[in-house]
Amino acid sequence: MMKTALKIAALLAVFAVMAYPLVWMLGISLRTGDGVSLRYFKEVWQTGPFDRYFFNSVVVTAIVLAGNIVFCAMAGYAFARYKIPGGRVLFFLVVSMIMLPKQVILVPLYILMQKMHLIDTYAALTLPFTADAFNIFLIRQFLVAIPPDCEEAARLEGAGELRILFRVVMPMLKPALAVVAIHTSLINWNSFLFPFILTNTASMRTLPVGLALMSQGAHSVDWGHLMAGAVIASLPVVAAFLVFQRQIISGLTSGMSK
Amino acid sequence: MNATTRRIKPLPPQVALLLPWGVVYGVFFLFPFVFSFVLSFLHYNPLNVESTSWVGLGNFTRLFGDERFIRALRNTLFFVVGTVPVTTTAALGLALLLRGRIPGKGAFKAAFFLPSIISAVVISLLFKLFYAPNGGLNNALSLLGLSGHGWLTDPRTALAAIMVMDVWSAVGYYAIIFDAAFAGIPKEFYEAATLEGAGFRDTLRYVTVPALRPVIAFVLVINTIRSFQIFIEVFVMTQGGPLGSTDTLVLHLYEAAFRSLDYGYASAIAYAVFVLSGAFSIIAMRQFRPRLRSGA
Repeated sequence: MMKTALKIAALLAVFAVMAYPLVWMLGISLRTGDGVSLRYFKEVWQTGPFDRYFFNSVVVTAIVLAGNIVFCAMAGYAFARYKIPGGRVLFFLVVSMIMLPKQVILVPLYILMQKMHLIDTYAALTLPFTADAFNIFLIRQFLVAIPPDCEEAARLEGAGELRILFRVVMPMLKPALAVVAIHTSLINWNSFLFPFILTNTASMRTLPVGLALMSQGAHSVDWGHLMAGAVIASLPVVAAFLVFQRQIISGLTSGMSK
Repeated sequence: MNATTRRIKPLPPQVALLLPWGVVYGVFFLFPFVFSFVLSFLHYNPLNVESTSWVGLGNFTRLFGDERFIRALRNTLFFVVGTVPVTTTAALGLALLLRGRIPGKGAFKAAFFLPSIISAVVISLLFKLFYAPNGGLNNALSLLGLSGHGWLTDPRTALAAIMVMDVWSAVGYYAIIFDAAFAGIPKEFYEAATLEGAGFRDTLRYVTVPALRPVIAFVLVINTIRSFQIFIEVFVMTQGGPLGSTDTLVLHLYEAAFRSLDYGYASAIAYAVFVLSGAFSIIAMRQFRPRLRSGA
């Protein structure tokens, strides 16, 4: 059909426009002075020090992820299943947190971290982000749609509340937690502004920060190394995306068809 | 008490469950938020704490007379108004293209979505090179026999260049959202439209867009809020230049706080961003709020 053919042609054109810059970036990072090699990657890994940046990004993302899964499951469960005095107001506060431009708390958070002597620590890079409101919202909405029968049954068998949460509810939350995991890791891995402000020394920087500062060097920019660093920073995200494509897309669009 | 009522628990479980989030929220969000508000009424220089003084609305009135703030505001507004409608419309268009049976649809969707999950720092650096005098864009243009240009060094084109980049990186994400929303439109609507002899454009106008109103509103709001906060791109690519043509509100905030060490003024700017993005979001949402409140 002509219509489908035209559609495909248009889609291919868009595909090319989307993919080309990324492929080109890869090309620059591989095209070392002496042919195609991984030299830039090796050099930037060691002297970047991108190995350190990578390590920091992994640690920070892992901690924030773990924190979110536990804290948000707890809070979401509380909002879904329990009567809370002022619960409506509280939940509204949670939701409002999502819409707020984070820059409003940039300066005070920095001052706070300074006073607590937490600048340049993993604590500063992780603690403020371990209970994202969006995740709580997701989990609550997910739970509200599920009748509390399993929990009631466990309760009747004499199980304590905490045990119910971890043994009964968490397994039920798997789909929602998958979305939480993907969403949180993604945002955190790519996060720039707060990690930038909250660190001063190279050894504590995460990939986006290290990469950005490398490009701001006084001397002329070395694009080969810079693009190699950019690829290193993007690789985990792209790899995870290619593997978890369907979950990522369906997770981010959950509820959109309403 | 019958088994179907929710038992009102004694306090501890709720408190225990909400405590971790509560602490994080209270210490790292609510407190800074309120503190920021208070800060905006003060003159506070961290290196000269004794000089801290109450200036009331001084920081805010200063905003109106600050050339740099006006410039940053103008640029940011230009950015928001220039990218949000374009991205949203392009995303809708892409989603429309993806409708029906298309071979390789999954691959297309993946490719479109990819730029939006890559770090803004990476994309900014990539395009910084792309727009460079000897970079990809100029190379491609010279192949076509056209002359290159200093895209990021010309004050007239720098902001536009960044805007194009922003659309490129964001459109796929919203396209996928619209694509998912399309799936939720009942087939009956389209069947009814076809029966009434509606063509493509009419179907679009009277079935598709109205059905998508809430999603469009959602996309507009999150896109607007996000766009008001633009920082990474201008910080990495142009540092607000050339000649302040890419200076934005958050960049101004950052420099007021961490270069000029004027925390009070920075907080005032932050609240200005907050109020502005909130106002624009509400306007955008109003425009596209679902109008029909049918009983169905």
